[in-house]
Amino acid sequence: MDLGLKVAEVVETSSSEFLAQCYELDGAPALGSMVRTKGKDCEIYGIVCASATHSVEPGRRIMARGQGAQSETDVFKANPQLAKLLCSDFRALVVGHGRGRSMYQYLPPSPASIYAFVYTCKSEEVRDFTKSLNFLSLLIDTRLPVATDEVIAAFLRLASQTQQEPQDFLVKAGKDLAWLLSNDIRRLDSILKRLRNDREE
Amino acid sequence: MTLDIVQLYGQIEAMAGDLKSRQADYILRLSSALDTLKSAALNQDRLKQKIEKAKATWLVAGLKENIDIHKAASALPDDFVAVASDGSHVDVDRHQSARLFLLNIGLVQLQYGSKADALLLSIPSLYFGDEQLSLRSQDGRQVLLEGPLLGIKRSVEECRYLADRVCEIPGGLPVVALVDGSLIMWGLVGQRYEDFVVEQLLIEGFLKQLDRFAGQNEKNKTAVASYISFPRSTDVVNSLRLHVCPYDPVDCDKYCKGKFEGRECDRVGGLLDRALFSEFLSHGERSAVFFSSSTIIEKYGAHQVCFFYVKLDEEVARVEVPLWVADDQSLLDLVHAVVLDQSRKGFGYPVALSEAHEQAVVSGADRERFWSMVERALNEDNIRIQHSLKQRSKRVRWI
Repeated sequence: MDLGLKVAEVVETSSSEFLAQCYELDGAPALGSMVRTKGKDCEIYGIVCASATHSVEPGRRIMARGQGAQSETDVFKANPQLAKLLCSDFRALVVGHGRGRSMYQYLPPSPASIYAFVYTCKSEEVRDFTKSLNFLSLLIDTRLPVATDEVIAAFLRLASQTQQEPQDFLVKAGKDLAWLLSNDIRRLDSILKRLRNDREE
Repeated sequence: MTLDIVQLYGQIEAMAGDLKSRQADYILRLSSALDTLKSAALNQDRLKQKIEKAKATWLVAGLKENIDIHKAASALPDDFVAVASDGSHVDVDRHQSARLFLLNIGLVQLQYGSKADALLLSIPSLYFGDEQLSLRSQDGRQVLLEGPLLGIKRSVEECRYLADRVCEIPGGLPVVALVDGSLIMWGLVGQRYEDFVVEQLLIEGFLKQLDRFAGQNEKNKTAVASYISFPRSTDVVNSLRLHVCPYDPVDCDKYCKGKFEGRECDRVGGLLDRALFSEFLSHGERSAVFFSSSTIIEKYGAHQVCFFYVKLDEEVARVEVPLWVADDQSLLDLVHAVVLDQSRKGFGYPVALSEAHEQAVVSGADRERFWSMVERALNEDNIRIQHSLKQRSKRVRWI
């Protein structure tokens, strides 16, 4: 896991989410990972809920170029303009904010700032933020571009790796989910199965 | 009112039927032209002399090489640079709020090899004020830069920015600079422009930039070329017409004045050069190099325009180069190889040129935004804005 790296800049922002353009092609953080950026007077935490690589200009279609190439790297070497015409970006769902040493698991008063740098969160940041999982309800109730359950499961798997006791963390998360999804057993089961696979590894 | 397709349909069908009926004749003439090309190659010197002495009513290609040459491309160097420019413009519009024009130049530099890299630039320039909106002679004559002349001015600027970029490239790298269209300033041919217009746009403008490319060869192997997709030229076919003409010297006005068919040369006429070379060349091959005989070439000096055809995967393109490139076999081979490679990478059109076009294009929305910015700036400075009523009637569609 990359720790505390500057990976992108906010290019669209709203109260509940932000879109960040990556500096590197295919440089989006993993689905479900926590990222940090700046708001008006606070740090804003988000969870990566979708990422994409596409043409910088809308309407320009990417064409396959590698039929004669030995590797994907060769495609970019033979077509140096591609690196300037493509970009990667990701959407992050806002799950909380921080001021000083305090972290709050509710939406910040103002959205993230445009052109704010976006960093991957360090392990200790994730650990501190996930001492409580109250923000899970934000994830559960939100409609996302990618299946929400995938994002929740991905986040919990990644967050567990920052804990001293990963299994205990996942068990606690499972209990919190059971409370939130008590009237949707099928969905609860779907998410738990995705956690279970990770634990078995 | 919209176009009445029902009325048009019958006319379109009639046109298609007419073209179909001419197909068989076309094939015969193409076959005859190919045979003529082969026989002309056997009498190269005779054809050269005939071309030199001819008084023909069309442009005839001069022969720099044997007419039946067809050459495969050389290998590309390991490291090289392809640079291209293209442009678009917003013309002076007398219905708008301010008198100005905008040039938008797209510039692309693609470096291949061990340090592959790309530079894509879009450079807008606003021209306003009497001095910038016209060409002026020293004795007080003035011509407005608008319409076709503005297009020529844009071509000069495309070339200038291209030369600027080429001069920035570090030493040791072969460079091919490409422009779209022709090196021949057709817009100045036959028009009754005053001498100072040709002087400023061509002699002191375009040709001075070609000098800069030539000068770069002290630092890098540098060639400049223009690329014409789907060319409509008939220079080489016209040379074949001279070859079969029974008269020597050829004098169309004397022997065939007022005739459009039934002439001996018509058996190889009505064809485009690209059709001829599409049959004659194999994929990737280039034709012989020819001289252009356009009258304006007299002013080109050392940059006398030569051209060749190259057969790509899906079309035959015309590539024009200055004489100093055509005279240098290594530069000529470089242009041939790079144009072929660029076209393959660009799915049939040189990728550097297509990306330069993308950088240059000014969309309809961009134009609207541009004029809004102009009006806002004028408003902020309390400058009275006037539009023509015609312009207003286009903006507000009423019944």
